[in-house]
Parts: sequence; structure tokens; C-alpha cells
Amino acid sequence: MGQVLRDIFSFGDRPFIERIVLFVFIAVGLIFPWLVESAYGRAVMIKFLLIALFGLGWNLIGGYGGQVDLGQAKNVGFGAYATALMMLHWHTPFWLTVPVGMFFATAESFAVAYPMFRLRGHYFAIATLCVALVWKELFVFWDWTGGARGVEISIRPAPNFTYMQFGEVGYHYFIFGLFMAQFLFMNWFRKSKLGYQLQAVRDNEDAATSLGTNVTGTKVKAYCITAALGAVGGSFMTVYYLYIDPDLVMPLDLSILIAMTVMVGGAGSIWGPMIGAAALIPLDMYLGAWLAGTGHYGIDFIIYGFIIMIIAAYEPKGIWGIIQKMSRRA
Amino acid sequence: MKGTMLLEVQSLVKEFGGLVANADISLRVDQGEIVGLIGPNGAGKTTLFNCIVGYYKPTGGRVSFEGENITGWPAHRVARMGIARTFQDMKIMPLLTVEENVMVGAFCRTGDRHTAVREAQEILELVNLKQEAHASPTELPIASQKRIELARALATKPKLVMLDELAAGLNPLETKEIIQTLHRMKQERNLTLFLTEHVMEFIMTISERLIVMAAGRKIAEGTPERVAKNESVIEAYLGERYAEGR
Amino acid sequence: MEIATQLVTYGILMGCIFAFVSLGLSLIFGVMNIVNFAHGEFMMVGMYVTFLISSYLRLDPLVSLPFAGALGFLLGMISYRFLITHILRGPMVAQLFGTFGLMLFLRYLVMFIFGPDVRTISHGLLVGKTISFGWISLDASKVITAGACVLFFGFIYWMINRTKLGRALRATSLDTEAARYMGIDTERMNALAWGIGGATVGVAGGLLAHFYYVTPTVGMLFILIAFATVALGGFGSITGAFLAGIIIGLIQGLGGHYLSELKFTFIYAAYFLTVVLRPRGLFGW
Repeated sequence: MGQVLRDIFSFGDRPFIERIVLFVFIAVGLIFPWLVESAYGRAVMIKFLLIALFGLGWNLIGGYGGQVDLGQAKNVGFGAYATALMMLHWHTPFWLTVPVGMFFATAESFAVAYPMFRLRGHYFAIATLCVALVWKELFVFWDWTGGARGVEISIRPAPNFTYMQFGEVGYHYFIFGLFMAQFLFMNWFRKSKLGYQLQAVRDNEDAATSLGTNVTGTKVKAYCITAALGAVGGSFMTVYYLYIDPDLVMPLDLSILIAMTVMVGGAGSIWGPMIGAAALIPLDMYLGAWLAGTGHYGIDFIIYGFIIMIIAAYEPKGIWGIIQKMSRRA
Repeated sequence: MKGTMLLEVQSLVKEFGGLVANADISLRVDQGEIVGLIGPNGAGKTTLFNCIVGYYKPTGGRVSFEGENITGWPAHRVARMGIARTFQDMKIMPLLTVEENVMVGAFCRTGDRHTAVREAQEILELVNLKQEAHASPTELPIASQKRIELARALATKPKLVMLDELAAGLNPLETKEIIQTLHRMKQERNLTLFLTEHVMEFIMTISERLIVMAAGRKIAEGTPERVAKNESVIEAYLGERYAEGR
Repeated sequence: MEIATQLVTYGILMGCIFAFVSLGLSLIFGVMNIVNFAHGEFMMVGMYVTFLISSYLRLDPLVSLPFAGALGFLLGMISYRFLITHILRGPMVAQLFGTFGLMLFLRYLVMFIFGPDVRTISHGLLVGKTISFGWISLDASKVITAGACVLFFGFIYWMINRTKLGRALRATSLDTEAARYMGIDTERMNALAWGIGGATVGVAGGLLAHFYYVTPTVGMLFILIAFATVALGGFGSITGAFLAGIIIGLIQGLGGHYLSELKFTFIYAAYFLTVVLRPRGLFGW
């Protein structure tokens, strides 16, 4: 047991400088509401942590597993809707809805995983995309999910720990806590048997098989875990936005955003999601929002698209890969 | 315990569409032996290997290991049964360190990371790669990468190790070193070795017994000295005229 | 009976249009085994070219078609030369998200310049007119588009199978190294495939603009249809793409009639089932 705890919290295998940066990050995260008091600034931080959270989950199948999944939004949707519908109809406390969302995401993923993993590369990516789109259409079509109108949660006075509704500061610590929990989980995962077998599968399926790894089984497990992690973020979205609809929690754009964030930051590295989110969110929330105010939309994604092309062409390991190369030369 | 049959192949057939790559191959490898498989290019040696380890499903015939019928088993199950194999083209995992590569092998037998690390370190010591444990395998020379493959295979605690053209690309000194490493491995871990090779000095030196294949069939078997003088073998490699010339 | 004929005709018509959009994708994939996620954006650019020429130059949108095709051709070749050649050197994941970046870049560039608003073309020889066949009434522009589709498919099929250039393209797709040894400039072949692919979908876009909304995000919808079409037909098969387009058009037409909110679900489901049950598609390799 003590060993497991040590595995979760130990970053001993990472260079000292990385541990320092992590420490600074955690410290900033903890005192952030005192550092930044503007509502907008705090919202930016929450959005950053949310995207980074989604990225952490995706990094498991996409980064450590090397399977480009373009349908993560469906899992976000499952979590969000589970929470929303249970709260709306049965006044279920938040923390009871989260396992339900995770369960649906995992079950659905398990059901589609075996057929999908018969595919490789592009075909697989497009298949994940299609599955997610089908679900989104279904959620728009169905009445019991609220259809296109979505689901609204009653606003309760903050702080409310049953339904996890807070003010800005509360939400900040809430998402920060979720982020740190998944971050520590990923720290444990990358050192675990499944983590190594998954990376072996990513790097060379034949070799992995010859070393006793069940390739398909490993991929399926990873895909299901990613689904469960995504659902948690979805549940958060419900109690943060207090209103969800398929366009908010399950759109294709969200799947793409999550995947691209991790790829730009550095897929397969524990720092990737944070770096990618740090690259995108300020771009989007400051430059993008500012220009949108003057009637010009899209500059943030023009830049982001350009960055993605550069990364794909010159440094597929992402910004983290660039950092590593520079530090090796130094 | 020499003499106990470890691997048995009976009348193995492997066809790809219309092409017969392996036709009616039967052989056995006993516990503790070092058996070599040779034959000219296209003889079907790697195909045979792949059929035994489960990489391909044989079209016909039977493969048994330790008495159990493993014909057509998926490769990862065969690995867990106790047969390890190395690849001709060294399928190293480039994004993991040397030690981590070996750990993947160790995870075949344990679920605990720390056991895996310990195992990996022990094995790296055995193959003389302890220094390079945290290096990236792509930065190491080929001879070292071959040893990583060996170490990785060893980590799965096999009883039989099947080596596919291990000496390819090595110079004579490296070849000698790897022969020593193999002997050391075999001693310490009580292994049986079954190898296929093109580099004659290597396989003639290390094998106790040779099996010769040509055009998908087994054409000869015996000690290296006897096989070298066998007419069908010479014919297979050099053509009829040389065989007659003898 | 009348409804049935109407639906089938409409389905076949839309199918031709889908096939037309997918032609370029099939060609690029056939020659290079890479999926261009920005394919829909090339089409979108073609639509905007047509819209601009029609609105600002006040010319008939048909006049814009050569320009849409030319711009598509340029876009294809430039993308190949400056992006694809680099990402091909990287791992598979890089190849995937490289064209994704291009997709985002083009889409939001257009949005930045022209705004997100929906545009339509109001004047033109084919705009808003219908042609009647007996009791069936069809959009003139759709009919012409379908006709152009057949022409383009015929031309590309002829080129691939009956010309020296086509043989060079096929050689490049089957074995790039061997082709090079035989003196084929494979780089030029690849660039050409991208150029032609871009050109066809640019023209398709120009025609599409006659009857469909022109917005920066239209690419995403059509690329999914194109994927389904190419997957069903078999990646790499031109005839396959045409037939599959018809089938997808029929599925969408019939499905859309009975369950209109889910009409795209049928397409996505068709893709998924095809790729899981018969990865080679109907005619692919």
C-alpha cells in the first residue's frame, strides 16, 4: 500500500528542474485566487484547468497509447448528461452522479472498442469521430435528454457541497482538485504495468506481443479508462455552466480541441496536456476574445492551426519535444 | 535435463494464397539444446519461426510445447507459455529507455513495477548493458541494440528462446561477444536456444545440431560437420554444379 | 410510387454530388495513402471563390468554376510541397494532425476574412431554376453538378487507366521506391495528385455554392460524407468512390425522409459499419 502511494506521488524519475516547475505550478494553483482577482482572469484559469484535465485523460489513449481518438467529447457528454439528468429529475448529489457517468462512458467504450481497434491509424481516428457524432445526433434527437434545448440545473446558493455549486473561487479549487487528482493518477499510471505495456504497444505492436502483451486487450483497457476520465470533466461542466446541451458538451470541435491540445503540448508526456492548454487557452481567451469584440472571429484558431502544422511537420513530439531537445543541447 | 522434448513441430504447413512457404516440416528441440536452422534465402525459416510463436496461424500441422498443443495460439499466449523470440529487424521501442524496454518483458511475469525494475537491472547486468540502462536505445550501436532484444526476451522468463538472425549486421568481434553472452544467458537461466542465421561462422560455432531447410522443406539434419558435407545442402546453397563437383 | 421515384432520383442526385466531393480525396489517398483532413476546406475555398466572383464581380457563378478549380489545384500543390512532404517523415500521428492543422488554419482564415455569416448566391444561370422530368422536379444546379460529376469521374478514370501519366500515378501508389527506380518523378506525381484532388473538389465546391450555404464551416460536414463515401467504395478506387457516393446519397435521401433529424447518423453509421465489417470497402485494396 505504501508502495502504491509512493508511486502516485513520486516524481523521482524526473529531472530536478521538472519537479521545481511542478512545485511552482501547484503553489500558483493554490494561491491563484489571491493573485488574480478579476472575474475574467479566474474564468481563464478555470478553462485552462478544464482543458488540461480533458487533455490528461486523452493523453492516456492518445499519447501513451498512440491511438488518435477524435471522439472524446462523447465521454464528456456522457458524464455531463448523467450529472445533469440525475440532478434535475432525482436531485442526486453530485458525487453520486459521477460514477454513473463514468460507468456509461466505460460501458459504451467497451462495447465499441473491439470492433474499432481492428482499425489502424486514419481509419481508427475517423471511426472514433463517427461514433461521437452519432451519439451527439442521438442526444439532439432524443426528448428525454432535452434534445437541442439541453438541460438546465437549478442554481443553488453557493457554496453548496451536495451539488458542488460555488462562486468563482470555489470552482477554481474544485477544478484544481480534479486536475491534481487525475494528474497524480497519470503519474501512477505511466509507471504501472498497463502503462508500460500500453507504451510498448504504441511503439511496436509486434514486439509487445512477443513479450506477452495482449495488444487489443491493452488498447481496450486504455480506451475505457480514458472514457471514464473524460466523463468526470463532463460532470464538472454541468455544475459549472449550470446548463448543458449537445453543442456545449459533445461537439466535434471539443474532441478535436482536446486531441490537438495534447499533441501540441507533447503527447505521451505527463506535461503535454498542461503545456498544450497553456498554449491555447490564453490565445483563445485573450487574443481571440479581444479580436472577436471588434468583429473579427477566428484569429486564435488561425494561429493554433498554424502551430499544429509546424509541430506536425517539424517536431511531432510537441512543445515538450522542443523543450527536451533544447535542454539536451544546453 | 537434456533429452526431454521441449518443442515439437509435426508436419507443419503454411500457405499464403497459392504460395507454400512451409511444407510438411517436422522437427524437435530438446531441453538444454542449442539448435540451428539454416537454409538459403526464401527457404521459409522465418515463416516457420512465425508459425511456431503464433505470429502466423499454420495452415496445417501441429506445434506442441512441453507436451501442450499450442498450434495457432496467439503470440502473446505463446510468449506467456515460455517461448521468447527476437526479431530480425530488432523491434526496439524507441520512446522507452533501455531499462524500460526490458521492463516490458518483465511485466509479462509480474504486475509490480518494482519487481520489474529489479528484474530488468539483473538482466542488464547479465548482458553487460548496466551502464546504458537509462539511455535511449536509438542512440546505441546495433550490437548493443541486439543485446537489448536479448535482455527483453530474457525478462519474460522463457524456457525456449528463438533467435531470428541475431548476428546480422555484426562484425566478427561483436559476433564473438554475442556468442559469449548467449552462452552465459543459457547457463544462468537454464535456457534452450533455437536460432536461425545466415552468418555461417556464428551458427556453425554455436549450434550443437543443425536443421537445414530449402524451398519450404526440411532437407537435412545433423551435427554441423555432417551437414556441411551433405550433398543436398550444398546443392541447395550453391546449385547442382557445385554438388556434382564434389 | 411517386414519392419513391422522387426520393430515389433525389438520392442518386445527391449521391453524385457526394461522389464528386469525394473524388479528390479518393485520388489523394489512392496515390499516397494519406488522408487529407483539409479536403473539405479546399471545397469551402472553392465555394467562396464562386461566391465572391458572383457577388462582387457580378458575373455568373458558372464563370468562376475554372478559377475555383485553379485555386483548388494551387492549394493542393502548395499543401503538398510545404506541409505534406514534411509530415510524411514523421510518425503516423503527426500525419494525422498535420492536415488537421491545415483544416483549422484554412477554415478560420476564411472566417476571419469573411466573417462567420452564411452567404448564398442569388443570381446565376442555374441558381434557383428547376428542370422537370415528367412528374419529377429537380434543381437545375444539382442536375448540372451531378452531370459534371459524371464527366469528371469519367475523365479521371480515363486519365488513370489510359494515359501514361495515369500509369505513372498508379506506379507511384503501388510502390514508390520501385517507381522511382523506373525514372518516375514520384514527388511530382504526389504533388500532381494533390493538385488534381484539390482542383476537382474546388470545382465541386463552386457548383455546390449554387444551391448550398456558403459558410466557413461547411467543410466539416462534407468531409465526413467524403470519408464515408471513400471508405465504402474502398480507399484508392475511383469507381468505388462513385458507386459508394450514389449509395450514400440514397441512404441519406431515404433515411432523411423518414427520420430527418438523424440523416447524418445514417451516414456515420454506414462508415462505421463498412470500416468494421469490410475494411477494404467495395472495391478497394
